[in-house]
Amino acid sequence: MPVDLRVSLAGIDFRNPVLTASGTYGFGKEYAPYCPLAELGGIVVKGITPEPRAGNPVPRLAETPAGMLNAIGLENPGLEAFIAHELPRLKALPTAVIANISGFSVEDYRFMARSLQRDSGLAALEVNISCPNVKQGGMAFGTDPAAAEAVIAAVRAETDLPVIAKLSPNVTDIVLLAKAVQRGGADAISLINTLLGMSVDIENQRPALANTFGGLSGPAIRPLAVRMVWQVAQAVELPLIGMGGITVWQDAVEFLLAGASMVSVGTANFMNPQAPLDIRRGIEAYCERKGIAAVSELTGRALRGKG
Amino acid sequence: MLTNMRVIAHERLGDDVNIRRLVLEGEAAAEAQPGQFLHIRAADALDPLLRRPLSIAAIDRSQRRLTVLYRIKGRGTQVLAAVPVGGMLDVLGPLGRGFQVPSTGELILAAGGIGVFPLLALAAAAAERQVKTTLFWGGEDRAFFDNAGLRLWRDLGTPLSLATMDGSLGRKGLVTELLGLWWQERTAAKEPVFMAACGPAGMLKAVSLWAQTKAVSLEVSLEERMACGLGACLGCACQGRDSEGRLKNLKVCTDGPVFKAEEVEWDAG
Ligand SMILES: Cc1cc2nc3c(=O)[nH]c(=O)nc-3n(C[C@H](O)[C@H](O)[C@H](O)COP(=O)(O)OP(=O)(O)OC[C@H]3O[C@@H](n4cnc5c(N)ncnc54)[C@H](O)[C@@H]3O)c2cc1C
Ligand SMILES: Cc1cc2nc3c(=O)[nH]c(=O)nc-3n(C[C@H](O)[C@H](O)[C@H](O)COP(=O)(O)O)c2cc1C
Repeated sequence: MPVDLRVSLAGIDFRNPVLTASGTYGFGKEYAPYCPLAELGGIVVKGITPEPRAGNPVPRLAETPAGMLNAIGLENPGLEAFIAHELPRLKALPTAVIANISGFSVEDYRFMARSLQRDSGLAALEVNISCPNVKQGGMAFGTDPAAAEAVIAAVRAETDLPVIAKLSPNVTDIVLLAKAVQRGGADAISLINTLLGMSVDIENQRPALANTFGGLSGPAIRPLAVRMVWQVAQAVELPLIGMGGITVWQDAVEFLLAGASMVSVGTANFMNPQAPLDIRRGIEAYCERKGIAAVSELTGRALRGKG
Repeated sequence: MLTNMRVIAHERLGDDVNIRRLVLEGEAAAEAQPGQFLHIRAADALDPLLRRPLSIAAIDRSQRRLTVLYRIKGRGTQVLAAVPVGGMLDVLGPLGRGFQVPSTGELILAAGGIGVFPLLALAAAAAERQVKTTLFWGGEDRAFFDNAGLRLWRDLGTPLSLATMDGSLGRKGLVTELLGLWWQERTAAKEPVFMAACGPAGMLKAVSLWAQTKAVSLEVSLEERMACGLGACLGCACQGRDSEGRLKNLKVCTDGPVFKAEEVEWDAG
């Protein structure tokens, strides 16, 4: 019997549990020649902001053991250009498309949410709260439960699309943040974003990134991400989209078993543009081998018997 | 395309243990153009994690072979250098926008150091079209040229004009000085001149300014750190100008690595 790969999350019906992570998959078209987008559960497109952003100076990337640091600086064409130039094509894609929004004030998020409704053709909004709250001294929204709740509540009030809150791992207690976005009215939680890191170029004796700090992603962060998914799964009612270093199907299954309903593939696309496809196939074969009829049965299985 | 390519040859290019020649066989050869690059996974491992971009230095369509010349720089190229003949490499490419190959006029190549590698494929393509080509090449010292494939250029029969920092071969000085002298001695311009350059950013900027004053059409090949190679991650940004002269970001991987010199904004960084 074929395995039922469908997942229903936040009222959206996904063909399978594999998404691509924001900022690693452009607007989808970049990967289309390598990975049939119709085979994916959906794609989460590059983070957009109210105004266009040129991003940070180079070097923006540095490789680290089993990982990489990035400081792209949210380069993006801005909301207006996104709606005019990217959305028409995205809408026509044979897969669910989730927009990712980033802002520097609650008003920024509210403004974008207002322009992105169900009739836009999007499946959901993912709210990236790992950005500095410029009006409140630059502390990231995602590190302050009250600010995180306020942003999610603002977005929730403005859009009829499902709202996915994307958590930052740069916190002492991820559960506090998960509960905060649940209070704010999120329909689902995605986690984790990148970990703040740094590396120094020992030859020229300067920080490797022009921006000094960057976000660490890739296999190196996976155990931390799995731990956070596990903790959050037990603390909130919301469905989870797990990510952080997922490179092969085994990694994806680990996240599902730890409590995620779906997974997102990020950095792995850079090494293998067919990674999401390989991962989807691997999950399917795993379910077959284990005699599991529906992939949704995997979610949180590792929690069984835990008090 | 995403393919596995077989390693046909993998050896030192000259005496320098750090400069290597890698010949790969596979489907990717059919589409390759001079100036494009291959995005190579040095190993099926998590460290090094990312692919490494290396330019195509020679294209042999009939034998389905591509040659890459590279300098061992850090961990990725070190691991790559250990891949044996007969082994397979995971290759994404050919990627990027390559050089325009002129079919008339005269082609002038300007190279700084190992920036010469991608120009070799361009010279070969121009030779096929019987376009007169000259290479202006600057390097550290005499030994460098032997180690970086001077022999390949002699085999191709390209007239060379060389400059070294220490004067041990050719003229003592910079490539731009060679270009200046050549221009002075050039008898009444009749043929249109096409130029292509690759090398350190400072040299490319100087060549660019020079070409501008001479109204010579110039293409430059740029490098920047990249992850996906497909225009998605936005790691490899460089600054350019749009047709209205406004600053904008260009992606080295998909808008380049070869750009028209006038597209690039050298001083914006
Ligand atoms: C389009 C393009 C074509 C290139 N063609 C050639 C070529 O034909 N021959 C050759 O010897 N080199 C070429 N390079 C440079 C080559 O990619 C780097 O030397 C190589 O990636 C270094 O990897 P590493 O792990 O040995 O060094 P490390 O310094 O340890 O690399 C660390 C990280 O930085 C990146 N990096 C380091 N130096 C460069 C650089 N100069 N440009 C881009 N990324 C870099 C690496 O890819 C890696 O992600 C090219 C670069 C680009 C962008
Ligand atoms: C180059 C790059 C750009 C990213 N841009 C964004 C972004 O715009 N918005 C966002 O919410 N997350 C962004 N991320 C974070 C990823 O979506 C993902 O949460 C993180 O990389 C962890 O997953 P991974 O280890 O599989 O890459 C980016 C990550 C990378 C590597």
